[in-house]
Amino acid sequence: MTLEFSHSSPLTMGVELELMILSTHDWNLIPGAEDLLALIAKETHPGDIKPEITESMIEISTGVHTDYRAMVAELISIRDTVVASARRLNLAIAGGGAHPFQHWSEQRIFPKERFFRLHDMYGYLAKQFTVFGQHIHVGVSSGDDAIYLLHMMSRYIPHFIALSASSPFSQGMDTAFDSSRLNNINAFPLSGTMPFVADWNEFNGYFDTMCGLKVVESMKDFYWDIRPKPEFGTIEIRVCDTPLTIEKAAALTAYAQALARHLMLDRPSAPSLDVYRVYSFNRFTACRYGLEAGFIDAWSRTRRALKEDIAETLLRLAPHAQALGSTAALEELRRCNESGQNDASWLRDQFKAGQTLNDVVRRQSELWVGETTAPEPSGGS
Amino acid sequence: MPKSSACSVLSHMNDVGFLPSFPLAAANIMLVGAILLCGLAVGQIFVRVLRLPRITGFVAAGLVLGPGALGLLDQTMLGQLSIFVDISLGLILFELGRRLDLRWFTHDRWLLVSSVAESLLSFLFVYGILRLFDIAPVYSAAAAAIAMATSPAVLIMIVHDQRAKGPLTERLLALTALNNVFAFLLIALLFGFVHLEYRADWLRAVSHPLYLIVGSAGLGYVAFIAARTLSRWLGKREDSQFVMLLGLIVGTVGCAISFKLSVLLAMLSFGVFAKNLDRDHDLMAVEFGPGGQFFLVMLFVITGAGLRPSELPVAGAVGASFVIARLAGKLAGIGLFAPLSGITRKKALLLGIGLVPMSAIAVVMVQGAATLNPEFGAKLSSIVLSAVVILELVGPLATQWALRRAGEAEPVSGAST
Repeated sequence: MTLEFSHSSPLTMGVELELMILSTHDWNLIPGAEDLLALIAKETHPGDIKPEITESMIEISTGVHTDYRAMVAELISIRDTVVASARRLNLAIAGGGAHPFQHWSEQRIFPKERFFRLHDMYGYLAKQFTVFGQHIHVGVSSGDDAIYLLHMMSRYIPHFIALSASSPFSQGMDTAFDSSRLNNINAFPLSGTMPFVADWNEFNGYFDTMCGLKVVESMKDFYWDIRPKPEFGTIEIRVCDTPLTIEKAAALTAYAQALARHLMLDRPSAPSLDVYRVYSFNRFTACRYGLEAGFIDAWSRTRRALKEDIAETLLRLAPHAQALGSTAALEELRRCNESGQNDASWLRDQFKAGQTLNDVVRRQSELWVGETTAPEPSGGS
Repeated sequence: MPKSSACSVLSHMNDVGFLPSFPLAAANIMLVGAILLCGLAVGQIFVRVLRLPRITGFVAAGLVLGPGALGLLDQTMLGQLSIFVDISLGLILFELGRRLDLRWFTHDRWLLVSSVAESLLSFLFVYGILRLFDIAPVYSAAAAAIAMATSPAVLIMIVHDQRAKGPLTERLLALTALNNVFAFLLIALLFGFVHLEYRADWLRAVSHPLYLIVGSAGLGYVAFIAARTLSRWLGKREDSQFVMLLGLIVGTVGCAISFKLSVLLAMLSFGVFAKNLDRDHDLMAVEFGPGGQFFLVMLFVITGAGLRPSELPVAGAVGASFVIARLAGKLAGIGLFAPLSGITRKKALLLGIGLVPMSAIAVVMVQGAATLNPEFGAKLSSIVLSAVVILELVGPLATQWALRRAGEAEPVSGAST
């Protein structure tokens, strides 16, 4: 079976966000996806709203965008539709990479053939997959471009992890990680990174082998951190936690777009296997320490602070952001990086201020609809 | 020690006061233990053998032990145990009140409409049926008002037992809180009419309902202020807040009884205030957990003991018609208006069935009427209690079935998943 890579306009972008459905009584997860989706189906809204593996999750996704502002507008409109429908059912919605105190065994599989099959196959891992991620799509014009961009983008994965990290609490405890969510994904046999293939042709050979061995049936079965999405003609970055606000989610998407523009136009270097040799270590420290992490630059073979690498990258991307009209988005990320305050810090601050984890979730859901002031990175407090 | 010497020690003692004398001094506390164990055993049999909700088992245990059957629990004992009923109801009503988020009505106005509709239609249908049986208007109206309310105890217990979670469960809890408020308000007003019926003056007819409503809601408010003040001082510690709330709940129940106010309205409004006026979120969502279970088992066994199955054949026709008319009212009200809230017809039907339980509170209301005017109370109880017998046994099953069909109960497989 040969995968046909659909052509899409380069540097288009789209985003998918997995969201929590919450009880307004105790702010635990509540299995409300079915009723919520039934209500939403009666509304007209942009984008797409779908179920996820367990019944306390819902996934929203935008259409294809070139302009950052248009994407923010669409995201806000989708968010408002979901929140309005949720309120009619007395449910709340929130961002964040993991629910702070849900118990995985209480989660219920959404009644759909594919999800039941996954539950059969993966056992408790399926219910532990009740974590909430952001997936970023960036359009590329050919399969070969996708493979190049994917290899180049891999170096920057820790940036996305640290900037988006919003899952410090899991199963009622502080995990000491800024993003605990990615640990849940590591458990799956087909997680990790794409093999170091040179082009689309070689990738197809690999895919054929895996299909022939019945390891996978489709691209959907690979849970890689970044993977090509041939039917959309995109590469898909899957490491981000769902941020606490729409604005942050959009800014991260714009960052991926600007980065792709830089990598595709400037072609700074050839893909290097060295990136993958230090990949797991970089990924781990970014999950564990967030913006305070260290970073090994495989290209220059030096060690530096991740913050420094992000700051430098943002500077390099400035002209690209200007060309794409997303300077404001990168400015937001710059402030976040400079202060070292990501969403995980905000969540920990809430908890430290004498709040219970229930209150933390309540504040999270207020933040999601814009009722609470967003994390103010410039303050640094 | 050799046997003989022990005997001689005993025989040489003049005073045998260290031996128990009959009746046993600790009889009451033994009774509580026995009731719990009986309830537990019968409950388990119902779950394991008959595959019925354990609540039905608790009630059946009470029914068998009570004056209606074996008579091991008599009226005096039940009177002594009434403190458990009051505390249990206090806990349940507070919990139910805390589930009523008033902001919900602004986001879904059809919720309030469907609640009014199901309450009103079950009132009208039951009233109509009772009038057909030639029961006087004031009794018919009082009985029909009682019919409006869904049992908070059964609902909360089934939700807990089934570990039910989801939008239908939320809606069921809100509708139950509301129909209890409506029923209470109507009954308070009817008390006014009863005063007139029995030739009291207008002042009493007006002031009694007013005292009940304003006084009970006011008491709930005072309890809320106390809870908020204390919780600010205690901080967000679950163990402290748990004891604080338990103390306030029991204390408020006591106040309501002493001041001849309504335990139902006082506790329900305490909960509603705690949910809706606690702007700084000082109060924690406390689970009463296993400790609460103790009170709930007691409540259901004692409720069962209060039932009179012997009245079933006598008032059977009235009781059965009452039950059917009530169900028809609930189904019609919910069926007509709930779909406007955006839920499917199937879920609306399940919602109506989930509202079937009617129980302990109805008995308490009847007892309230009895203290007000014994003659009125006696007549009312003969009408209502046969319906209570039926619904007490069938109600838990109906709610459990509805929650399971809606897919909101925990799948039975339990540990294997």
